[in-house]
Amino acid sequence: MAGIGFELRKLLRRESFAGLFQAYAYAGIISSGPWVLSILGILVIGIISAATVADRHITQFQVSVTYLIMLSLVLTGPIQLSFTRWVADRLFEKRNAMIAPNFLGALLIVVVGSGLLGLLAVATLFPGQTNLYRITFASGLVVMSGIWLSTIFLSGMKQYKTIVALFFIGYGVSVTGAMGLRGLGLEGLLLGFVVGQFVLLAGMLVMVLRALPTQRLIAFEFLQRGAMFTSLIWVGLFYNLGVWADKLVFWAAPEVSQAIIGPLRASVIYDIPAFLAYLAIIPGMAVFLVRIETDFVEYYERFYDAVREGGSLGNIQRLRDEMVFTIRQGLYEILKIQGITVLLVILAAPRVLDWLGISHLYLPLLYLDVVAASLQVVLLGLLNIFFYLDRRRVVFGLTALLLVLNVGLSIITLQLGASFYGYGVALAMMITVFVAMLALESKLHRLEYETFMLQ
Amino acid sequence: MSASEPSVPPLPRAESADIALLLEGTYPYISGGVSSWVHQIITGFPDLRFAVVFLGSRPEDYGPIRYELPPNLVHVEAHYLFDAAERPAQRTLRTDQAAFTHVKALHRYWQEPDNVPAGTDPQALFGAVVDRFDDQLGEAHFLRGDQAWQHLCEQYEERCTDPSFVDYFWTVRTMHAPLWKLKRIADKLIPVKAFHTVSTGYAGLLGAMCKRRHGRSLVLSEHGIYTKERKIDLFGARWIADNRSVLQRDLTELSYFRELWIRFFQGIGRACYESSDQIIALYEANRRRQVADGARGERTSTIPNGIDIARFSPLRALRPDAVPPVLCLIGRVVPIKDVKNFIRALRSVINQMPEAEGWIAGPENEDPAYAEECKLLIASLGLQDRVRFLGFQRLTELLPKVGLVVLSSISEALPLVLLEGFAAGVPAVSTDVGSCRQLIEGLDDADRAIGASGRVVGLADPKALADAAVELLSDPAAWQRASDAGVERVHRYYSLELMLGRYRAVYERALTWQASVSS
Repeated sequence: MAGIGFELRKLLRRESFAGLFQAYAYAGIISSGPWVLSILGILVIGIISAATVADRHITQFQVSVTYLIMLSLVLTGPIQLSFTRWVADRLFEKRNAMIAPNFLGALLIVVVGSGLLGLLAVATLFPGQTNLYRITFASGLVVMSGIWLSTIFLSGMKQYKTIVALFFIGYGVSVTGAMGLRGLGLEGLLLGFVVGQFVLLAGMLVMVLRALPTQRLIAFEFLQRGAMFTSLIWVGLFYNLGVWADKLVFWAAPEVSQAIIGPLRASVIYDIPAFLAYLAIIPGMAVFLVRIETDFVEYYERFYDAVREGGSLGNIQRLRDEMVFTIRQGLYEILKIQGITVLLVILAAPRVLDWLGISHLYLPLLYLDVVAASLQVVLLGLLNIFFYLDRRRVVFGLTALLLVLNVGLSIITLQLGASFYGYGVALAMMITVFVAMLALESKLHRLEYETFMLQ
Repeated sequence: MSASEPSVPPLPRAESADIALLLEGTYPYISGGVSSWVHQIITGFPDLRFAVVFLGSRPEDYGPIRYELPPNLVHVEAHYLFDAAERPAQRTLRTDQAAFTHVKALHRYWQEPDNVPAGTDPQALFGAVVDRFDDQLGEAHFLRGDQAWQHLCEQYEERCTDPSFVDYFWTVRTMHAPLWKLKRIADKLIPVKAFHTVSTGYAGLLGAMCKRRHGRSLVLSEHGIYTKERKIDLFGARWIADNRSVLQRDLTELSYFRELWIRFFQGIGRACYESSDQIIALYEANRRRQVADGARGERTSTIPNGIDIARFSPLRALRPDAVPPVLCLIGRVVPIKDVKNFIRALRSVINQMPEAEGWIAGPENEDPAYAEECKLLIASLGLQDRVRFLGFQRLTELLPKVGLVVLSSISEALPLVLLEGFAAGVPAVSTDVGSCRQLIEGLDDADRAIGASGRVVGLADPKALADAAVELLSDPAAWQRASDAGVERVHRYYSLELMLGRYRAVYERALTWQASVSS
């Protein structure tokens, strides 16, 4: 399957506004599809069940799913990037037959790990809940953990379209399932949701195994000493924790949060703007994908071709400069489009909140969250460039910094009072982006030196 | 290593020795002229205890030891310069700028030795760099250091005529890679009273490092011109790239990277000349070339090879009455011996003397591709029945059956096979390379008065080679005159006793040498 860059370039080559628009729309769907569908799916289930299910149960359902998403992301974080990198290295070595059995090995570990943890959690922490809720919650954790592993695996194989299509089907089943089972209340909504997720996971497994040759059923070679990069294990954990850190801080603070179900707490004033803000980064994600996968990758490949295949030093340096230029252009464009988006949100948000029936009290926090989410796109772009340049230690440092800052600054803003809520995550993102840019500047400055002398 | 392989006897080890021989790609793992010479030297001085430091490229390039090690060879260590080694950690390194200026100064001196500021002391320049090999200018600084990178880029911009930076980068890396290994070998060597290197190149550089480290005299014996000989192929060929296009490529012009290797060896050769207290060439032309390459004239001298005449003179009685119409090339089947020239000449010889035969006595395993080409050439010339590959042969058994020793090489130094043939009464036909004219026609007037012990012909001229061979083989009187002249010449000038006597003086000077302030 041709890479996404190929398809985007094909659209861009038409050199018309329609082609350009199509490319960005396509990139937007590809890059934002999965989580937009997740957020929309949860909202839709809430809206259409409002008439038949008690508000309290809908909130319990939404908070349960939020925790499922958060827990499964953080749990699979350590294996996501490290395993994807392991797979990429095997693909590079053309040892494709190793991949499918090891993917199943990784999946088994994820399933057993999340399963044990889920069972332990529901057995001890949800004393007031029915057994159906408990078993559905635990299965949800297992299924969603499997989904994230498969998603990152399929993105590594550049099967973006498949991912979006499967998410669409999965969330379609989730919504209809929740609809059909809403008579059972909270348990019905959750069960319906998890059934949809299970369909999604099953579809992904079919796609993964269909694409890969296999001789053995299962293998654990990726666990051998030195097989995976330790730094990537930490990066996966730090990034996912770092992104959720401010929410976790607010959930834990009694003054801004309520116990919703069992041990699960939520902060209504903090959560709703945060999740809505993520809908505002679709344009930035689209630009990010187009710029990184076309311009940057093109010069990146030409740079390393010149390095490997006997370009002159002058030519190598010129291509480095071009690559730097595309990076600068790309980041600048993400900033521009997100700047416009922030302005639009400021203009349109009051009406949207009216329409959704949400109080205007959330507005200041929403603005900050949109800024924070926009900066997160920039950070994602920067991290991606560091991954391309194989600077894992830098990514490790940056994600650790993000985690520390987001926890620390969120706690401080919590102390400072309601008018400072949201500044924690925004500042954490801003500082991390700033440090990442400085690091990128220095890395690019020494790119030839490090490329040659560190081999 | 699997358990089924025959066990290799351990190399002899000692706490100390008198003379350390520094040998690159030769004794005791490769047989050949230089190795035989080394063996002669060791067995010729039974009262001295020798150590051998063998420098090879990679262990897999060598078979077992080819010689029975004499009892006075008390210590042998083998090191492999291009063996995969532990690399320093992959992190960038800041090199002390002041320390690195020494590297730049040394490079500048080697690039333009005649154009240095007055008062430059080359030995001090070399020492300033080598003495820092363990810390400020360690291998990590060469591989990872910012200064090394900057210097490399500057040198590329300033000097490199081949566009490929990556090839330049790896050529520079590859040629420098053994230097730190050499320094460690020098540091760890057992105590000896003098060092004797039998080439410049890496072994010569090791000699210079050993002398600086241990303060003992260094003797250099050169058998050929390092940069022209197979060593550069041995160490270099696998990496030497040539990125010129077909149109750019002028066959008479070396690729930039080959040139870079040659200049590198000239540089470290200079370090060896400057450190050597006695510099010995095989013959006069080579001595003058050494002086041109940086050796101080007063330290140079010539000592030709000598052979054990007693081993070969009895063979004269074993010869058949008639001269056997056999032309024999004795040597490795490698391009430098131009075996194809010999084969082409054979076609012409056999046209004139159908009973003639050509023998090729020497190992074929060193360059199997070339050996295969030679066999194809034989087949295409229809010589399958007239040319025989004999493999490695005992000369004492071979020489009585041979009518002429032939050397068709494009490069030789002082080939012992000619002298051995002479001692056994076999005249020679040789190309005009190295000291071959001196050996066949004589050097000074007294020598020339003995007469020619064969014929000298031009390089790559099979017709001339064939004609000279036919002339000798078809005229028994002329053959006998040449044979007698060879016997006389080898007795008078090229006996082993003569050579060993002169080397005894060399070793005596080396063993009593005291480090003076000036060196």
